Amino acid sequence: MISGFLIQAIINGIMVGGIYALVGMSLNMIFGVMKIVNFCQGEMLMVSMYVTYLLYEYLGLDPFIAIPIVAVVMFLFGALIQTTLITRSIKEDGDQNVLFLTCCLGIFLSNVALMLFTSDYKTADSMFANQVVTVAGMNISVPRLVGFFILCVATALVFLMLKYTKLGKHIRATSQNAIGAQVTGIKTKVVYAYTYGIGAAIAGIAGACLMSYYYVFPSVGNTYGTRSFIVVTMGGLGSTIGACLGGLGLGVMETVGSTLVGAAFKDTLVFLVFILILVLKENINRKKRG
Amino acid sequence: MKHLSIRHILIALLIIVLAIVPAFVTTTYVMGIFVTTFYVGCCTLAWSILGGLTGQISLGHAGFMGLGSYISAILLNNMGISPWISMIIAFVFVGLLTAVLLSPCFVLTGPYFTLVTIAFTEAFRNLFTNWEYAGSGQGILVPIDNDSIFSMRWISKVPYYYIALIMVIVFYLILRIIDRSKLGYAFKTIREDEDTAHAVGINSFKYKFIATFLSAGLIAVVGVFYVNYIGYINPDIFKNANSLDYVMPAIIGGIGSIVGPLLGAGILTPLSEWLNAALSQIAGLNLVVYAAIVIVVILFQPNGIMGWFTHSKLRKKINNSFDNIDRKLFKKE
Repeated sequence: MISGFLIQAIINGIMVGGIYALVGMSLNMIFGVMKIVNFCQGEMLMVSMYVTYLLYEYLGLDPFIAIPIVAVVMFLFGALIQTTLITRSIKEDGDQNVLFLTCCLGIFLSNVALMLFTSDYKTADSMFANQVVTVAGMNISVPRLVGFFILCVATALVFLMLKYTKLGKHIRATSQNAIGAQVTGIKTKVVYAYTYGIGAAIAGIAGACLMSYYYVFPSVGNTYGTRSFIVVTMGGLGSTIGACLGGLGLGVMETVGSTLVGAAFKDTLVFLVFILILVLKENINRKKRG
Repeated sequence: MKHLSIRHILIALLIIVLAIVPAFVTTTYVMGIFVTTFYVGCCTLAWSILGGLTGQISLGHAGFMGLGSYISAILLNNMGISPWISMIIAFVFVGLLTAVLLSPCFVLTGPYFTLVTIAFTEAFRNLFTNWEYAGSGQGILVPIDNDSIFSMRWISKVPYYYIALIMVIVFYLILRIIDRSKLGYAFKTIREDEDTAHAVGINSFKYKFIATFLSAGLIAVVGVFYVNYIGYINPDIFKNANSLDYVMPAIIGGIGSIVGPLLGAGILTPLSEWLNAALSQIAGLNLVVYAAIVIVVILFQPNGIMGWFTHSKLRKKINNSFDNIDRKLFKKE
């Protein structure tokens, strides 16, 4: 009986973790390549959820079908923000400016959403909404399953893109050494714009998937923004597969944690584990360096 | 003792003007804006010890402030301990607790340290939301009394005004003393380059510990004032956005200076209150405008007002004219 609960919790965790993994991957693109801390990642997710909502409300598009459109819109939105705002604030010394800028941008975006859509919860029903499949006695919600499937596809695509396409190679080169990349003729500014755009587009995919079974409100990004940082730190900076596994790990930790310590204190557990991982990692790194 | 100069006279005049403001301002609303400006100024100054002087950007100060508020509210409600004593308890307890909790994280640099502070605050929020003794999600209501100094309770806002004003002056003096002491130089060396600090024999762990202790302790004192001024406390105080409210004035004013954060608070808090009142028809519009203003400042003047002022011609002019006046008034060489 108890093991049954646990297995159900783990399955739920993996399904919840799919979204965390996607948001984490989107942050990872930006954090890993541009080395900037994007504190408005959660708000990007929020924007993409509202885009999905608008597509559903006015065109009647199912959230899952809307994914390509949302991804393209978010790509353009991300590239626009990168080229107009973020490039300007990147300075040689430290990343304080970018940190503050993205924080303020987050406040800006969530309040624009509050202005336009008020603080009511908005939903976009998917054709799979509220459907559940039962496999070997375990209940799995269909939208989450589809979301998980999309996560796998997206991870594979991003991985292949980074590995084999010209753009992917440029991105990796820039990530390793921006000045070196510039010397070999890579236009790093263009690469940055693409990177931020792709990051935003992945957030868009995550938002559309999330919208199929969740609701959107202006401060929905808060939870997911902080979570995405946890995912990235758990999975390792700059590693797509790592972010994917980190997201699933976080999801499992949350659901298993809430069955073990009670749902009320799961956040505390998650944050404490996060701090522990960060500190341990840094200490291990320091020992390696000597 | 340095010679008296026109600068001292101007500062004294400013304090006198602020001290007699309550005699002329009778609207509670305007008094409220003054009090808010003062305590936000205090928070920003407290943040500056860790964020400005030591260069460890924390976005968790709302959490440390909240701890102070909760300590005061619980002590007053359950044990009848006066907020005045709570201020000392909060200073020592929250300062130590935060410094001990954050001490393993001092190895982290840059954004990672920021993330840890956010994580701690979110954890506090989660704990306090579920802690029945501390009122769970509803929070704690401070008992409503008649006017009494013991429980820091007045119906009028004037006493709070003076407490907040004194607090700003004390905090400013504390920061000024730290800034020019050996401690301050150690903080600033760590901010500029931690490896260099190690090389010249500065124990960065020790000084980060001291900076965190002072910074969190002082903001907890503000927290004690805050809860008694507002009258209630709930876990919303731990929200991340609150921390940003105390950081933004420092950004606008100029991180690293001492006058900057105060100046930033003096500009931003009334601005945000005014936007709040003027644009109240559309929810969110005030914060959109507010955030847009801060974004523009970060883009075009990333060092803030003081960062611009220190290297500007205006400062030279003002300095020159002050020196001239000094020469004429006090017949100095």
